Amino acid sequence: MSLDEIAELRRRLSEAEDTIRAIHQGDVDALVVGELSNPQVFDIGGGADAYHAFMEVMNVGAVAVDQTGRILYANANMNAVLGVTQNSVQGTLFSDVAQAPVAEAIQRLLVPPLVGPVSTEVEFDRNGERVHYVLAATPLRLSTTLGVAVTFTDVTEQVRAQAAEQNERAARAVIASANEAVLVCDRNGVITHANTASHAVFDGDPLGLTFAQAVPLVFPNATGLMQSEDIVQMAVQGTPVQGVEAHAPNAPKAKDYLVSAAPLQIGNDAISGCVVTMVDLSQRKAAEKQQLLMMRELDHRVKNTLALVQSIASRTLHHEDTLEGFQKAFTGRIQALAATHNLLAENSWTNLTIEDVVLSELAPYTSGVSGRLVVHDLGHSLSPRAAIALGLVLHELATNATKYGALSVPGGKVSVREYVETAAQPDRFVIEWQESGGPVVTPPTRKGFGQTVIARSLQYAPAGGAEVDFAPEGLVCRISVPIEDMAGQ
Amino acid sequence: MSELTHPKKLTLYVAGQTPKSLAAIANLKSITEQHMPGQYEIEVIDLRQNPKLAKEHSIVAIPTLVRELPVPIRKIIGDLSDVEKVLVSLKVQGE
Repeated sequence: MSLDEIAELRRRLSEAEDTIRAIHQGDVDALVVGELSNPQVFDIGGGADAYHAFMEVMNVGAVAVDQTGRILYANANMNAVLGVTQNSVQGTLFSDVAQAPVAEAIQRLLVPPLVGPVSTEVEFDRNGERVHYVLAATPLRLSTTLGVAVTFTDVTEQVRAQAAEQNERAARAVIASANEAVLVCDRNGVITHANTASHAVFDGDPLGLTFAQAVPLVFPNATGLMQSEDIVQMAVQGTPVQGVEAHAPNAPKAKDYLVSAAPLQIGNDAISGCVVTMVDLSQRKAAEKQQLLMMRELDHRVKNTLALVQSIASRTLHHEDTLEGFQKAFTGRIQALAATHNLLAENSWTNLTIEDVVLSELAPYTSGVSGRLVVHDLGHSLSPRAAIALGLVLHELATNATKYGALSVPGGKVSVREYVETAAQPDRFVIEWQESGGPVVTPPTRKGFGQTVIARSLQYAPAGGAEVDFAPEGLVCRISVPIEDMAGQ
Repeated sequence: MSELTHPKKLTLYVAGQTPKSLAAIANLKSITEQHMPGQYEIEVIDLRQNPKLAKEHSIVAIPTLVRELPVPIRKIIGDLSDVEKVLVSLKVQGE
């Protein structure tokens, strides 16, 4: 045997060993068997035709891939899923023919160990449309190759339906949780949805009624021609109605509303109806009414005050001989008026106690000297009208006491108390001003305006008024407050 | 000189579309394109279509890749997924 022959034998032996090793290791999946003159190909583990046929009858996309992600077979549905033809996918890697999200999903399913069925979801754009698939993988042994069979089930419709349902639910929740009455009407104005708040405008179930039947409206700022059906009609025809004030006479509680109506358009479809919202205006109306009332009251008070000032000016002028005297007296009286006004303003024009008025009016005369003013439990409240009058009277008394009476000398003092005089009919409420420790009092020879103010200020009512007693030991003034101006009387 | 100008022939024996056959075809294309472009011409022989062609290279297991030239003849059995092994087998000393 020559060296060449030996080498050839060695080569053949090595080749035979390689073949046996490859078969052992599962590196091959077909063998050539039979006579040399009539060889046949034998598939290890059976042919692929059976599983190809089986996959073809499946009505979902089905694909067999090996562990590297190579497509061994894809059925016709699968090609439709990927949008490719069969010739182009068999033998190729998934990542070469499918979009990234699909290839990544396949990779997830191929993560070892390949046991049991596993599934994943994937969404991708195909021909400009978002599609959703559920991928289910089962390990598959094809002769000597381990791979997976993956089915692609189109769930696009379900996902869309689910999303639509979720939107619908969200929309319902939004409508339901709105504070305003929200009513949805169809193209004919028939109410199809109504939230809980809409019970405020219609007592009962409004579904099935037309909006005009359920909620007749009157528009105070429009002509009588405009009615409920008109706003619905306008909205259905595409013209939104925004914030129209309306009166709903049949509404169970609040009657005044701000009404808006908007066309209802779902997606790109034609207008399918309208959405009417009604905001309760009763609180705003009430606030407006209150404001108007307060403005009228303020107007009234300003007029009264100006009339009073005018009267004080002309009377003071009449009684004063010099311009200087006029200025002093007039300013003092206006300041007295202002002091009571300030008190009233601070208390929002509610009732003031007698003590508030006394302390405020006498502050300029008694401040800094203790014991000059003694007040006895002056806790009763007065109306603003009585408070202003009392303020003017106290100012005159204090001015007089400073000039001629107890406050003109050191040691003199004024005490103020209140009591109900039952001897008179009807009972009188009296505020008594008593001076002591001053010079001997003599009745004045001339009656000044001050005395007029004291006597007349509270005479706006029959029970009101004041009388002055010029007792030698000290002036006494009894001021009667009309009983109707005593708060709580 | 002719070896440089004319690509050497590689013959790949497959059996229809068995998984290993599909893998071997794809792997071989990829290896030759990436590592030795233009050097080899590939002929794929489907033994399912014509089993008698197995005789020429005494093919027993499928897939098998055969390189006839330069001598000695070389056979690589399997799906050619081990790139290093394929390269070592195809490149003979002096090349």
